[in-house]
Amino acid sequence: MSMAVIWEIAAAAVGTMAFSLLFGVPKKYYPYCGWIGGAGWLVYALLTDPGLCTAAEATFFATVLVVLLSRFFAVRERCPVTVFLISGIFPLVPGAGIYWTAYYLVTDQLALALSNGFAAVKAAVAIVLAIVIVFELPYRFFRLPSRRKP
Amino acid sequence: MTRETDEGLASETDESAVLEAAMEAGHILLENGAEIFRVEETMDRICRHFGVKSDNFFVLSNGIFATGGNGEKGNFAKVLHIPVKGARLDRVVAVNQLSREVEEGHFTIRQVRDRLEEIRNLPGKPEKMQILASGIGSGCFCYLFGGGLLDSAAAFIAGLILYLYLLKVSSPHLSKIVGNIGGGALVTLACILLYRLGLGEQLDRMIIGSIIPLVPGVPFTNGIRDIADGDYISGAVRLLDAILVFLCIAIGVGVMFTIYRRLAGEVLL
Repeated sequence: MSMAVIWEIAAAAVGTMAFSLLFGVPKKYYPYCGWIGGAGWLVYALLTDPGLCTAAEATFFATVLVVLLSRFFAVRERCPVTVFLISGIFPLVPGAGIYWTAYYLVTDQLALALSNGFAAVKAAVAIVLAIVIVFELPYRFFRLPSRRKP
Repeated sequence: MTRETDEGLASETDESAVLEAAMEAGHILLENGAEIFRVEETMDRICRHFGVKSDNFFVLSNGIFATGGNGEKGNFAKVLHIPVKGARLDRVVAVNQLSREVEEGHFTIRQVRDRLEEIRNLPGKPEKMQILASGIGSGCFCYLFGGGLLDSAAAFIAGLILYLYLLKVSSPHLSKIVGNIGGGALVTLACILLYRLGLGEQLDRMIIGSIIPLVPGVPFTNGIRDIADGDYISGAVRLLDAILVFLCIAIGVGVMFTIYRRLAGEVLL
């Protein structure tokens, strides 16, 4: 793993924490949000950098980890999973896809606009699938390692 | 306005007080970015604990309908319209915590309503912090999408400007559509200016990083969850909301590019 990837993971973690502040996540959960955002990007980078997966496939696997961790922390901290999930997913949202689609549309490069737009939709569908599938796992799966509160 | 009607209708009977409290809890949850099933579950928990039979809730993404009573005593019926606002997850966490504590039996119904009032008035993060967070987020995401350090610095500035606009212009004065088109255009303009001034080398990465604070993460994620839970109407409305915002951002970026190309007469990048 190159140095660049480590910096990227740090950027993903800090960026995720910044967005969790914007969504009003309570302060004590910032570190969890950071971990989740960083972990999601780690998977994404490990899968796309050597060309193991396409962007959409890597997005799928990264989102699976993000949702698993979010559910795990939610059960452990007894708080809504939304708190971790929404900001944790941000690094995986196809923001670049939106930009390139808009750019190619206004510069009259329709074929490129279409292929970029389609790639963005594919990544979005990957996120959807990952969220839906991981939420099918039963609750007790996440309870085993959880901390018992008095 | 809803506040006054709440007080006006207040507890004739215990049952209506409980239902009022449950609806208030549901209102706060729905307004601040909770999933539909969580709203239903929380309202149900509160009602069940205080011994009110509560199978008469209908929750949509922007409304709650509830009826109570068995026809012998006074009936309870109420509809709440809840416009979509920005997410405040701390309130969702607080109501969730409250509903657990209610279940453990720590509260009277009066105390629950007082606590809900407190949660409703929870102060948000100071605006300066929010603006700073938006800048940091933009800078980080610019780096993540392949920007250099200078690009990230430019995205940081654009992110600050964007959130200032969101807080001062867009959310108080503009509709969602116009506000997001304006946001996309403003970010593009800010990045083009910074790029022309010599800060940043990759205009595309700068813009990609700084549009991220506009991305509708809450409706997108919750819409998916709602559809997966079978709440198709609410899920579809929330996803439509998210798609609309994505489109508006793209339109804003595109419009500003077109204007710039007409004025400067050159192709960017």
